[in-house]
Amino acid sequence: MVFNTGAALLDAIVLAVVSREEEGTYGYRITQDVRKIIDVSESTLYPVLRRLQKDECLEVYDRQFDGRNRRYYKVTSRGIVQLGLYKSEWKKYIRKINAIFEGGVTA
Amino acid sequence: MNRMEFMAELERLLFDMPTEERQAAVQYYADYFADAGEENEQEVIRELGSPEKVAGSIKADYYGTEYNEEKFNRKNYMEKYGQRSSGERAGGQGDSGTYGGTGAETGGDGRERRPWTSNGLKIVLIILIAIVVWPLSLGVISVVFGLAVAAVSIFASLVVASAAVMAAGVITVTVGLGLMMALPPAALVTVGVGLLIFVLGLMATVGTVKLCIIVYPAMLRGFVDLCRRPFYGKAV
Repeated sequence: MVFNTGAALLDAIVLAVVSREEEGTYGYRITQDVRKIIDVSESTLYPVLRRLQKDECLEVYDRQFDGRNRRYYKVTSRGIVQLGLYKSEWKKYIRKINAIFEGGVTA
Repeated sequence: MNRMEFMAELERLLFDMPTEERQAAVQYYADYFADAGEENEQEVIRELGSPEKVAGSIKADYYGTEYNEEKFNRKNYMEKYGQRSSGERAGGQGDSGTYGGTGAETGGDGRERRPWTSNGLKIVLIILIAIVVWPLSLGVISVVFGLAVAAVSIFASLVVASAAVMAAGVITVTVGLGLMMALPPAALVTVGVGLLIFVLGLMATVGTVKLCIIVYPAMLRGFVDLCRRPFYGKAV
């Protein structure tokens, strides 16, 4: 993609990806899902997940899988609120961009 | 490099982070390798780049948020990532600063992208600074040394003083016993006073020795921490 993905947009995408899973999801799958949408390196997502966890937008729990503990990420109620905020900001943003691209008139 | 070596190196590079942070990161990447499966091991390693690069991204984010929380805002954060992606442009092809880029183009040269505050560089800088300001630092070192000696001496002198009080008690008792034949009443008073002084001295000695046992290790620890600080960051 020719456009940058800023930190806030990346946060929003990760929150959206994690919130699709009721039971929560794990690091490798989150990375694969995010990489279907935008081009990020594999080492980009851990700091994002860790920070969202510290901001209490995500919570983690460990579950047995294949004889080991796998760490799952799950969106919190605070994370849902934050995602809602990002979504409404995004709508405002693309409306303005679309207006200038297609309508040629600024609001 | 296989997955084991990668993980060992990553864990080593995170040694100066708080245990909890290090464990969380190590668990994440151990999970990551396990979920990717053995057949993708080399692919994942190639994509991740190098342990240095992974450790760098963990630390950049951790120290960026943990220690500047009041100053931290989205703008700073964006600028930080902007700088990182401009570095990537210089290194590889880079698609005009896309978040993080792909691991493939940046693989293997994680060394270049390590933050400038790496330990080796810090040590060299400290030595250089020490040489340049040698006349001044000599003075500073003398003052610090002097203060340390003074602090140690204060507590040692308390012990010596207490022991001296104890000795004075013993001498007073001895004098009193010497007077026993000539002036029994005066002798008894003197011996009594001497015993009191001795006991007070004994108590003071025990107390001050205990104080030293508490204070000296604490001082030593404080001094060591002070010396470690420039090398290990704030997270000691």
